[in-house]
Amino acid sequence: MELILLPLIFSVLAFVIPAAYTRLFGLVATGLTLLVSLFHLLGFHATHPEQLDLGLKIGTFQLDGLSILMLLLTNAIVFLILLANYARSISGEKLFTAMTLLMQFGLVGVFTTNDLIGFYIFWELTLIPIFFILYWYGNFDNKRSLMQFFLYTLFGSLAMLVSVVAIFLLTKESNWEALVSADLSSIGSASIWLMGGFLLAFAVKIPLFPFHTWQAETYTKAPVAGTMLLSALMLKMALFGMLKWMIPLFDGMALDFWRWPVVVLGCIGIVYGALIALKQNDLKTLFAYASLSHLGLIAAALMIGSTFIYSSVMLQVVNHSIVALGLFLAAGIIEQRLGHRNLDQLGGIAKVAPRFGFWFAVLTFVGLSVPFTAGFIGEFVLIKSLFDVHNLTGVIAASTLVLGAVYMLRAYQNSMFGPSTVTSFQDLHWNELLVFAILGIAAIYFGLSPKCILDFVSPTFDHMQQLMNSSANAAL
Amino acid sequence: MANDLILLLLLSLPLIGFSINGLLGKQLPKIVVGTLATASVFGAFLCALVLFNNNHGTHLVTLFPVLDVAGMQLNASFQLDSLSIWMTLIITGIGSLIHLFSMGYMSHDEGYYKFFTYLNLFVFSMLLLVLGSNYFVLFFGWEGVGMCSYLLIGFHYNDAQKGIANSLAARKAFVMNRIGDVGLLFALFMLLGHFGTLEYTKIAAQLGNNATGSVAITAITLCLFLAATGKSAQIPLFTWLPDAMAGPTPVSALIHAATMVTAGIYLTVRSNFLFQLAPTTNEIILWIGIATTLVAAFMAMRQNDIKKVLAYSTVSQLGLMFVALGLGAYTVALFHVTTHAFFKALLFLGSGSVIHGMHEEQDIRKMGGLSKLMPITHLTFLIGTLAIAGFPFLSGFYSKDEILAHAFQHGMLVYSLLMIAVTMTAIYMFRLYFLTFHGKFRSTDEAKAHVHESGLSMTLPLMVLAVLSIFGGALNLPGIFLHKSAHWFDHYLTYGTKGLSLVKAEHLSATNSIALMCAASAIALGVLAWAYQTYVKKGNTAHSDETLQGWEKLSNAKLYWDEAYARLFVEPTSKVAGFIGTVLDVQILRNGVYALADSLLSSASLTKKWQNGYVGSYLFWMVIGMIAFISYYILKFALWN
Repeated sequence: MELILLPLIFSVLAFVIPAAYTRLFGLVATGLTLLVSLFHLLGFHATHPEQLDLGLKIGTFQLDGLSILMLLLTNAIVFLILLANYARSISGEKLFTAMTLLMQFGLVGVFTTNDLIGFYIFWELTLIPIFFILYWYGNFDNKRSLMQFFLYTLFGSLAMLVSVVAIFLLTKESNWEALVSADLSSIGSASIWLMGGFLLAFAVKIPLFPFHTWQAETYTKAPVAGTMLLSALMLKMALFGMLKWMIPLFDGMALDFWRWPVVVLGCIGIVYGALIALKQNDLKTLFAYASLSHLGLIAAALMIGSTFIYSSVMLQVVNHSIVALGLFLAAGIIEQRLGHRNLDQLGGIAKVAPRFGFWFAVLTFVGLSVPFTAGFIGEFVLIKSLFDVHNLTGVIAASTLVLGAVYMLRAYQNSMFGPSTVTSFQDLHWNELLVFAILGIAAIYFGLSPKCILDFVSPTFDHMQQLMNSSANAAL
Repeated sequence: MANDLILLLLLSLPLIGFSINGLLGKQLPKIVVGTLATASVFGAFLCALVLFNNNHGTHLVTLFPVLDVAGMQLNASFQLDSLSIWMTLIITGIGSLIHLFSMGYMSHDEGYYKFFTYLNLFVFSMLLLVLGSNYFVLFFGWEGVGMCSYLLIGFHYNDAQKGIANSLAARKAFVMNRIGDVGLLFALFMLLGHFGTLEYTKIAAQLGNNATGSVAITAITLCLFLAATGKSAQIPLFTWLPDAMAGPTPVSALIHAATMVTAGIYLTVRSNFLFQLAPTTNEIILWIGIATTLVAAFMAMRQNDIKKVLAYSTVSQLGLMFVALGLGAYTVALFHVTTHAFFKALLFLGSGSVIHGMHEEQDIRKMGGLSKLMPITHLTFLIGTLAIAGFPFLSGFYSKDEILAHAFQHGMLVYSLLMIAVTMTAIYMFRLYFLTFHGKFRSTDEAKAHVHESGLSMTLPLMVLAVLSIFGGALNLPGIFLHKSAHWFDHYLTYGTKGLSLVKAEHLSATNSIALMCAASAIALGVLAWAYQTYVKKGNTAHSDETLQGWEKLSNAKLYWDEAYARLFVEPTSKVAGFIGTVLDVQILRNGVYALADSLLSSASLTKKWQNGYVGSYLFWMVIGMIAFISYYILKFALWN
């Protein structure tokens, strides 16, 4: 239980702690949470999910392979975000720290709850802290783009709310196992609409083309820490929601109906995002569109689905968090030192800041999914799944290999290589170096043994598949 | 069992060198870094020799499964057979010579330890590529060498003048290779779908059921060949290799001449059981090979950068190897891979010695008369030139002769086209040799005073490679010279191999063989005499680029191939990307959403607050209220239902 409540307690404490210690407090609090969750991992067996009961009807939580992986990812990433921003003024802000911890609480709730209504509540809860972080610390010159993000998310959430309430009224159930075992396809074409509600919320959050228009502006104008939270964690909620809730609940008619639309939108997103990234001048905008491209691949493959593809999706989820955190950190470092992120005015940083040059390069190659990094196997499996379902979708998905190489190397080379235009560039601080090193080592570790993630989550998906099969059999 | 351990040692040696130099290289003295890197590759070479000695047919070593699911079992496993051991010998043998050379060549470079770190990583990746027992391990190595190639081409990214050009060349190489990689990826998918495995021996064992020329096999082989055109610089993906000369010269010798660029040939030979069932693909390979060898030889004729000439020459020679593959002469192609590794590594290292001695000058118009100033470099470079030009009884003579003999048997058209390419090869190589080493020194006197012969760490590899370039032909002597030990290499490669049914060389009648050899020799000697007349006796030198006319201009401008690609692919993509990014995404989609939001909000009469910025907080409280409201009802419903 402490796994779930710790961030909330710390979040409240953050208001009380004297302002001078806020920075340290954030780091210690998230570090402690991370340690507790790592410690918990020792006694955990993926085949035996743990039930946590608060005694309330909607308060059931469950730790299975999938949720504990997301929990660990969340705790690790939040810690790394605070560490990465340690030297910046933002991490000294009480409100920022409190909001980040509140966000962590919401995320942990989303990933561990075993109750559909609980899922919705935690899902909405995460919106509040991110809104504050963007509103107070963002660089939104007019509030329109912030509004856009907010309205988009709100509409998506409302659509999901309708579906959640409808499912609850129909089945009188909100527990995950009960819902998965129940057969929703018996309600006929209405299940298509219900799934559409979930899908809209997820499509906005991921985001999926054409629901992405909030992304580039929000990512660009958010403070670095906010962009990290959004890309490395918040959008993972949507992928998680698809895997844990949407697919097992709507397996059958509704899933068959929506499969191709999502695959097609995902494939469009892959090429669309990559093409736009080719021409971007602002590093953060460039990485935002790159994210659109990468996430398109994950979402499309996820809809094709098999337990093995789901496990590979989780591998890619971890990989994307590593890449997103690393690349946005790099962009943030450049902006902090030079006051801008424009590729056409950058160059030669690697010479004056060799450590930064090295680690940025490592993260760039991780982003390119070269062998021995976490993305290699994941991308291989995902593109193969798209290729197997149709050769054309495979070809479209594979274009990311070529276009990705162009925009990633352009981003890296234009900023780091060439004759020096900057004379002084403070090389990495200890905290930044530590973050990069942890990310780089994690990427290589998961690249060398992808099995450790795949084997960790696959029992959960096997179990899920069994429940789905039994509900399908019951329908027959 | 002993072989398993030696294999592991062989693989781990370069990895150890990479790790130590990568982690500690900055603190270690240069001599330690260089010696460690060289010794690790040389140690691997010794291991390869032991394996070569113990070779008794195909031997599989499985380490651990990388992925283990139904329909996709991917193992980290290795295959020892004649082919993989031979490639290993070339990689580690030539590799250790080039490492040794680099110790001298890079001695003044501040990135010394980084250079050797990358070089060792490259050797490791290349060993994965050739030693893997399945396409998956090969793919690992394939991508790995591409990454190392990128790092090493752009090694001098900080250079004040050439920094940007270097890093652009590196990026071009990486991107064009990635296009080929997509082909390999699809071949892997189709192989998995078709055979359920990626193991060479298992696929070969299943092939009995597949009819020759089936669509699936043709598609697979075409995808494999696409991958080969990327890595081995064939039309249409060859334009990165000349640019890759931006890398330090040892890199050009090791990666872009002797080893990595032959990966495409290795891939085809390794998959020969598939290619033999795909006559259409073979026909395409044959003609792509012919076109590449001709086009590249033509482009080499009027290049003035010493390394560019050698780069186009490499493309052209690789084309020749693909001709052999297209004709089904797999052992012949590998024979040429071997001799080419000797003499092209020699020529590149020789050019490196020249560049080093001339203090980074690469333009042959500013050289001349170096034979007296750099005697060892001169003599070894001459041997390399004679070998590649097909001078009788040197290594290149034999390997080229076998390709020509196969072409001759295929038909006069192919044979004549190859003879044109062979003639052009002799022309540009002797032009290069004479302009560099003979005639008058064409740069300043001050520059002349600084020209010096290179040190022993550089000249020793040159001498070893020169010896190999002279006698390398003895590996596979034709039947008319010796009866007993003839065609040793053909026999070696086809010995005891499973999943590798290499076609044996066809044998011409003795009269025809001798006639072909005489024709080839006549060309080499004739061009030598002509070039001597033109460049030494008459003292012709290369002209500046602007004064060139007609075919010379075309050759110098590389047939405007890069410009055509820019016009056909790069610019349209860039335009489409620009349109999508600015018009479609921002003006239509994003502003469309704005307009929608505006109309919604104005109907809620929030327009004023929207503009004065309070709307953010307003909206926030709105949402809080909404969530509280909804939560209340849900909780009530859920808890007391």
